[in-house]
This record gives sequence, structure tokens and C-alpha cells, in this order.
Amino acid sequence: MDPLLMIGAVTVAGVLIGGGVHFLPVGGAPAAIATATGVGTGTAMLAAGSAMTGLITAAAMTGSPLWLILAAGAVGSMLMIGITMLVGNWVYVWGVGTVPASAKVETDPLTKYNQEKYVTPGTEGHGIPTVCYVSGIIGGLLGGVGGGLAYWAMYESLIGITSFATPLKYVGVELVPAAMIAGIFALGLFFVNAVIASYNIGGTIEGFHDPKFKRIPKGALACLIASLATGIVGVLIMNGGAF
Amino acid sequence: MSVAAGGGSESAVNPKMTAGIGIVGGLIGVYLTPFHPVLGPLLASLGAVCAIIWGADAIARVASYGLGTGVPSIGYMSVAVGVVGVLAGLACGVMLGNVFLGPILGVILSAIIGAVIAILGKKIVGMKIPVLLTGTMELTAASAISVIGFSAAIAGGIGMAPIVSSVVATGFIALLFIMNTMAIQHPFNACLGPQENRVRTLKLAASTGFISMAIVGILGGLFTAKGAVIAIIGAIAWFITIKMFLKASKEEAASVAWSGMWPKEEEL
Repeated sequence: MDPLLMIGAVTVAGVLIGGGVHFLPVGGAPAAIATATGVGTGTAMLAAGSAMTGLITAAAMTGSPLWLILAAGAVGSMLMIGITMLVGNWVYVWGVGTVPASAKVETDPLTKYNQEKYVTPGTEGHGIPTVCYVSGIIGGLLGGVGGGLAYWAMYESLIGITSFATPLKYVGVELVPAAMIAGIFALGLFFVNAVIASYNIGGTIEGFHDPKFKRIPKGALACLIASLATGIVGVLIMNGGAF
Repeated sequence: MSVAAGGGSESAVNPKMTAGIGIVGGLIGVYLTPFHPVLGPLLASLGAVCAIIWGADAIARVASYGLGTGVPSIGYMSVAVGVVGVLAGLACGVMLGNVFLGPILGVILSAIIGAVIAILGKKIVGMKIPVLLTGTMELTAASAISVIGFSAAIAGGIGMAPIVSSVVATGFIALLFIMNTMAIQHPFNACLGPQENRVRTLKLAASTGFISMAIVGILGGLFTAKGAVIAIIGAIAWFITIKMFLKASKEEAASVAWSGMWPKEEEL
């Protein structure tokens, strides 16, 4: 693959990942004690879970057309983030005993249910209400497509190089170095962009209805430049195939 | 999330000292790898432990300002940059025809990406942490040395070919990614707070580094001389350092108990 195309694909992937993180209901430490809306952990952990699942499903489609790899990555990430939010909600509803509600909006923009009445005084909401859930799924979709795109770009760049394409035997299993390098590169890109986006939102966000969501252009710009730098460094890996 | 906010208070440990341990110890360990089949990998893994201690100190200096995203996030980011930088650096070594250039180029490339991210964080995102640039660069460089050190220990060499075939293609790189992140970010994440004592934090960093080294020994082949030596020395060193950390924790917990409760907010 042309190195410039690879840098371009990685940059687009980074922007998709960084943008996707802005959609996730990241509750952080306050949500861990059910005093803020969202999943009670940081962006890096949510990204780790959904990115790795997305990469595994994307990598399972290796060799398929691009759209299938992207779709597989998106479905994997969406499933993982969806399951995380669903199980989180079970804990908030039946474990903590709170009603999923957001303090950032008066009524849920999607279901039009009243939120204010159900927010415990002194908290900023709790659980994952419908709007946050839908927003999180959109985030998973963007992140998964981004991760799949980065994986595809790196894999296609490396598979043309003999030393990366030759399968190795390890304890009886055939391993293709190109796939693993592409996987770890995409994972690295995912973390870099997830953390930059996380800096941009100041750690916590509820989803696309949150006022902090307006910061997305800045976050996307920062992710674009960071992914460009990562992509340029990534191109160097392609040149290491002469061993 | 900004439990650690408050800024860079006077540290009990000189930052230059930990940086020296990390850079000098780490790189010497890595570069001595090819010279002996058993002692070389052992030194490489010890070098990685030095880098982990440096990284833990760097993360403590940056995250004490309160990142707003928790301590682990910057750890994950730095090791992600370190892994990408190391692979690119090793490839550069192949490109330039000298494998010995690989590790140092990997560290430099990682520090450059770290600098780009820190500048973006300051200029575009608007983070107000004065040490963000130097801290992130140190952290990414330390992560890169720790990744290359453990990779060299598993592979028994510092070239692209042994590392790709025995660390990357086998998937151990993904384990190293998470393990080094944990080893670097956990010490400060566990010890942060108003009573944080950097010496105690670094004792915990040494123990997380050594337990990672023991696991690296297992990955390198527990039934080979190389893997067994790394695993056993790592496990013994872990036992010593975790005892030192537990002792320090108990002593300092007692001093808090005997001096009464913490002061009220307005007295601070």
C-alpha cells in the first residue's frame, strides 16, 4: 500500500476514534459511587474494552473487503460498549438502587421522559439513561470503524512485505507477524486518541446531549494532528521488513 | 477524578536521579543483551525495571497536578506511544543497517510523539499543567525503554527479526503493553494523596517492576536457563521490594495515627 494512503487512513481512523470517545458516557470516579451519570470508569478503560473487542472482530475478517472489516470492528466495539453499559445499569438499578437519570437535561432528548424528578439531590444524575446509551452505541460505532480502518491500513501495508507476511510456527500455531503488528499499532493509536479526547472532555461526559460535547471540534483537531504524527512514525515500521 | 490535584509539591526524590537510573540503567541493560545468552536478557529485564521506576516517578510528577482523567489514562497513552515508537525505531535500525541504532531511535521517536501529544494538550485542548511537556516526554521514553527491555529479554536480542518473531508475532507485545502500563501507573495511583511519600511510591514501583520481570521470565521460557534466571531473580527481588513497601506503609500509617487526624482544609 502507498505510504501516503496509509498515513491518510490512520489519520482518518484517529479522528473517528477521538470523535467516538466524545459520545461515550464516561462517568469517571463520581459515577463509580453513583453520583454522576455514565459508566463508573475512565475513558482509557472503556476504550480498552471496546477497542480490543473491535480489533479482534475486525482481525477475524482479515482478507475480506474493507467495508466488511470496518463493519466487523464497529459491531464488536458496539457490542462491548453496549454490554458494559447494560451491566453497569443493572448494578446501578438493582445494586445501588438508583434510577437511571441525567442531570444535564430536563427531559431525555430521545424518550422525552422527565429526568429532573429522578435525580437524587446533591448528585449529577446516576446510571445510564436512554440518551446516554444510544450515544455510547454511536461512540462504539465510530471507534470500531476507526480501529478497523487503522488495522486494515497497517495490515495491507505490511502484508506485501515478505518477512512480515511469512507465517511463523509457535507451539504448533501459525502466526502472521503482519496481523499482530497491525493489531498492536491499531490498539496504540486507539489509546493515544482516546486519551487526547479524554483530556479534551476533562475526564467525564454524558454523551451528545452534554454541553461539553460542543468541544468536539477541538478534540478532533488534536486527534488529527496526533494521529498524523503516529501515522508518520508508523510508516517507518514498513521499512523494517528487510531483515 | 482529580483526587491528586494540588500541584507539584516538593518531592523526596530528585527527578534527575530517577531519570538517570532510567536512561543509563535502562539503555545499558538493553545494549548488553546480545553479549551473553543468559546474563544479557537478565540485564535487559533489569534495565526495564529501572525504566519502570523512572516512569513511575515521571507519572507522579505529571499526575500530581490532577489530569482530570485519572492516573491510568496517561500511563496507557505513554505505553501505547512507547510500543509504536519502539517498533518504528527497530525498523529504522534495519533500514539504516545497524541493529544497535534501533533501541535508541525507538526511545527518541517515542519521546517525539510524546512531545507532540503534550503540545497538543497544552495548545489545543488547553491543559494547564506546567510540567506536561517534559513529563510526557519522560514518560513516553521510559515506557519505550521498558517495552524494549522486556522484549529484548524475551527475544534474547535487540534486532527487529528476533523481537518480531518471538514477542510481536506471538502476541506477547499485547501483554507487555498492559503489564508495563500497570507497572508504571499503579504505584502513583495507589499512593497518591496529601501524605504521598515519593520514596514509598518508588518502592512500590520497584516491586511492580520486579513482578513484571518475573512474568517476563516465564514468557521467555521457564524451562530454559534464560527464562528461569529472570523469573527467579525477579520473584526474589519482588519479595524484597514488596516487603520494603509494606514496612514503609506501616511506619507511615503509624505516624499518621500518632499525630492525630489530618488538619482542616483552611489550615493547610
